[in-house]
Amino acid sequence: MNARRNGSSPGRVLAVARKETVDLFRDRRSMVVILVTAIAAGPLLLMLVMNLVASQMEKRRELTLPATGLEHAPALAAFLERQQVKLVPAPPDYEEQVRVGDLDIAMVIDAGFAKDVADGRPGRVSLVYDRSRDRARAVIAEVESLLRAHSSEWARGRLILRGVAPDVVTPLRIEAVDLATPQSSGSVVLGLIAYYGLFATLMGAMAAALDTTAGERERGSLEPLLTTPASPLELAAGKWLALALLNALVVALTLGGFYLTLRFAPLPAVGVPFLFGPSQYASFLVVLLPMILLAPAVLLYVGMRGRSVKEAQANVSVLLFAASVLPLLQMFMQRKEPEWLSLVPIAGQYSLLARVLRGDPLSAEALLATAATPILLALVALLLTARLLSQESVIAGK
Amino acid sequence: MIAVENVSKAFGRRREVKAVDGVSFTAVDGDITGLLGPNGAGKTTLLRMLATLVVPDAGAATVGGDDVVRDRTSVRRRMGVLSDARGLYPRLTARENVRYYGALHGLGGAPLERRIDELFAALGIAPLADRRTQGFSQGERMKVAIARTLVHDPDTILLDEPTNGLDIMSTRALRGMLRALRAQGKCLLFSSHVMQEVTALCDRIVILGRGRVVAIGTADELVAQSGERSLEEAFVRLLGTDEGLAA
Repeated sequence: MNARRNGSSPGRVLAVARKETVDLFRDRRSMVVILVTAIAAGPLLLMLVMNLVASQMEKRRELTLPATGLEHAPALAAFLERQQVKLVPAPPDYEEQVRVGDLDIAMVIDAGFAKDVADGRPGRVSLVYDRSRDRARAVIAEVESLLRAHSSEWARGRLILRGVAPDVVTPLRIEAVDLATPQSSGSVVLGLIAYYGLFATLMGAMAAALDTTAGERERGSLEPLLTTPASPLELAAGKWLALALLNALVVALTLGGFYLTLRFAPLPAVGVPFLFGPSQYASFLVVLLPMILLAPAVLLYVGMRGRSVKEAQANVSVLLFAASVLPLLQMFMQRKEPEWLSLVPIAGQYSLLARVLRGDPLSAEALLATAATPILLALVALLLTARLLSQESVIAGK
Repeated sequence: MIAVENVSKAFGRRREVKAVDGVSFTAVDGDITGLLGPNGAGKTTLLRMLATLVVPDAGAATVGGDDVVRDRTSVRRRMGVLSDARGLYPRLTARENVRYYGALHGLGGAPLERRIDELFAALGIAPLADRRTQGFSQGERMKVAIARTLVHDPDTILLDEPTNGLDIMSTRALRGMLRALRAQGKCLLFSSHVMQEVTALCDRIVILGRGRVVAIGTADELVAQSGERSLEEAFVRLLGTDEGLAA
């Protein structure tokens, strides 16, 4: 039988991709871990964060205010009670309790309050709190604004009594026009979804990528593979294809977890009208696609440099750290993002995802801008991997 | 037919380790040619150069007339290599392992499956065909690797220490198989550090020592050349040492 068929280049790429896919899915334990983590991430994360947010809001709604000297200011006490504030006597060591964080706030009404007011002087009310405590901030703001409201109501009463129109002392009327759409509030929770979606693109194919690169070297299966007619580029492309498909699956499942959780799970009402419907789901996938393609290519290159899976893991963890810090920096960056940031992989995707969540429409232009660099880099990484595979050193050291 | 002409290869930062140093020999079709030498004699490096994995620093080598550097793709197509690293995929079955290489050689469908069945039957591993290679013994793994090497019916076959780790029955089966391939007119190049292995099978023997060819010839010629009475003494005399030749 000397009829030799040579096969085509795409045929060989597909043969590699098919084999890698079968091989990957045979690794049951790793696959189950990867896929279950992907599906469970959304529900777990959302439950956690939203319960946290809800408990903050709960705190604000049922405001309990420890106070001393209420008997000196009955009108103030009545006003606060009308505003649904629960007034309780402050413990004697309230200062200490605020300091250690057992109390968020305490109100102290001066013993001379009634006399001062009667004499036409401002009555003194002290608020004791620790502003450095994040948890307490909402409560502090609430109490301060209530006191201010009471003060201004009182002042208006006095003016009217003296026959002066209250508008005389309000030369400025501040009208806040908040341009935040309902969706753009609760941005932290939304940012989290974007962040986790990006994270999934990096993590989705990692274990598999190391297995098919450094693992192949470690097992000694690379050397015989390189004696076949498959060229280094065909091998790299086939492996990349299999990894990209797996990565897409993991990302789709991760986002699916978020979608289903937001849609069906009995999450606490936090007053954030989440917009994460089918159209956001699809937009997310489109925005993330360049990263879904880029991450496996980079992992292939880094993995192939490792002589063993262990060595490759060490290299990849450095990469992963750098990649996961980037969106965090953006999340905390208050200024408007510079234009060029959209060209940076991960950063560009992150700001686009944030836009999708704010309900802004996606423009083809923005999509292309964020896709260009990752796709170019993916090609470069593939070529570098192929070059690595054609070097003698890749089989040496075994 | 394999023709090696004055091939050299050195490793190390300053190329100070001469793994192969000016080696020339030919291996003709219809012959089993043996590369015999102690560990570190340069057998694996030489085979890797022929398998297009390593580029020679100097000299030239051709396989069936194709240069191993310039025509590496056509060399790879016509050659089957059982490399030093056997490297099967443990999560794939024996058949899937062989099928993968068949597909990379452009084979597929029913003819490929028939070819795999034939090879497995000849190697006596047909009952293992659809089991994952994870739990295979060393001998079973070797047989799958050999089937993989032969799946595309190569006309030139390189085998790096093929009997390593095989028991007597498997070794005999392998010898039978290599003789059958020789009868088909294939060119076989076989490396070993075990003298008995080489003398039992090879038509011509190339003795390598420290990267150089020490002697070439049939077993009888080598004995005559050395002036010794037995083959074993001839090898020791030709290599100038008995190190690494113990069976």
